[in-house]
Amino acid sequence: MSEALDHGLWPWAALILFGFLPSEIWRMISVFLARGIDESSPWLAWVRAVATALLAGVVGKLLLSPNGALATLPLWGRVGPLAVGMIAFFLIRRSLFAAILAGEAAIIAVGYWAN
Amino acid sequence: MAQLQAMKGAGSQNEPPMDEAAEDLGGRTRPQWFAEGARQAMSGPMLVVAVSLLSVGGLARDAGFSVEIAVASTILLWAGPAQVLFFGAVAAKTSWPAIAFTISLSSVRFVPMVVSLLPMLRTRRTGLPTLMLAAHCIAVTVWAEGIRRIPLVPRDARLAFFFGFAFICFLGTSISTAIGYVLIGELPRPLAAGLLFMTPIYFVATLTRNAKRPIDRWALVLGLALAPLTETFAPRGLDLMVLGLVAGTGAWLIERALDARAAP
Repeated sequence: MSEALDHGLWPWAALILFGFLPSEIWRMISVFLARGIDESSPWLAWVRAVATALLAGVVGKLLLSPNGALATLPLWGRVGPLAVGMIAFFLIRRSLFAAILAGEAAIIAVGYWAN
Repeated sequence: MAQLQAMKGAGSQNEPPMDEAAEDLGGRTRPQWFAEGARQAMSGPMLVVAVSLLSVGGLARDAGFSVEIAVASTILLWAGPAQVLFFGAVAAKTSWPAIAFTISLSSVRFVPMVVSLLPMLRTRRTGLPTLMLAAHCIAVTVWAEGIRRIPLVPRDARLAFFFGFAFICFLGTSISTAIGYVLIGELPRPLAAGLLFMTPIYFVATLTRNAKRPIDRWALVLGLALAPLTETFAPRGLDLMVLGLVAGTGAWLIERALDARAAP
């Protein structure tokens, strides 16, 4: 990148103006949106479902259009280890640790096999 | 008073009734609840979020930024995908307004997370600056863990617990961003892929574990199933928001339909 980025306050200004502020504004708006809602509101169930679906979407996106080293694996090499992890999760007392361990072992194995 | 009624609501059966006069901290002090939150974060979630931010450090270095900026991006943005967008776009020499716009779009997803978590955290006495600080701490991992853990904490202790939990997550990720900055280029590719895979496997497993009610399961299943469709057909940058609204509303409608059928 340009020399301008290596010096002075410009990188900080860029991070705050074009990164922090455009992102943070939604959290601050949400503080005000959350004001009128109490914990028993039926709206909250809907908002929560939207948030859960969004998170599932983040995962879908990471697997469908990955970046970096994940992009070097074929699609089955990303979805397969997820399935392996979830099978371990259900077999071993719904353990998060088992899911991560099995999924990671699978994807690292695929990585060495595919490259 | 609204809060007392809220405590009796259907969604909060885990909670003990609250005494309005005295503070109910469940027999512990606030610092003890802060430490309890910190301890729970250290027992796993912090590691996952730290590992998932390793790659951001590497991206920042590739884009020509200093390690201080990389760590500051973690603390200020507190959003892995936005950080990936920011450093990736700078490396690709995207214009600054376009970068700001894309980042803003990607962070719209915090709206449902903050709106659903803050009502669990606040008491009638919570001031605006505290709420804003709490909102800043909410990102996907803190949300997914918080929504499950916070109902088990007495209401007056929740913010202390939450800030302890978030503090450890911030600390761990700041360290891992710096480590990633120095290290990620040196890793063999399959191991680097393994690190990036941590986020998807962790989220699917933790959302599945969180999914106690049908609506949560439907939101998870619909969200995953519809992801390829919105990825292809929704406007770029808005695809996640469209997916969340469609799949979340779908899950909500399904639960209502099931409830209506179950009712006599």
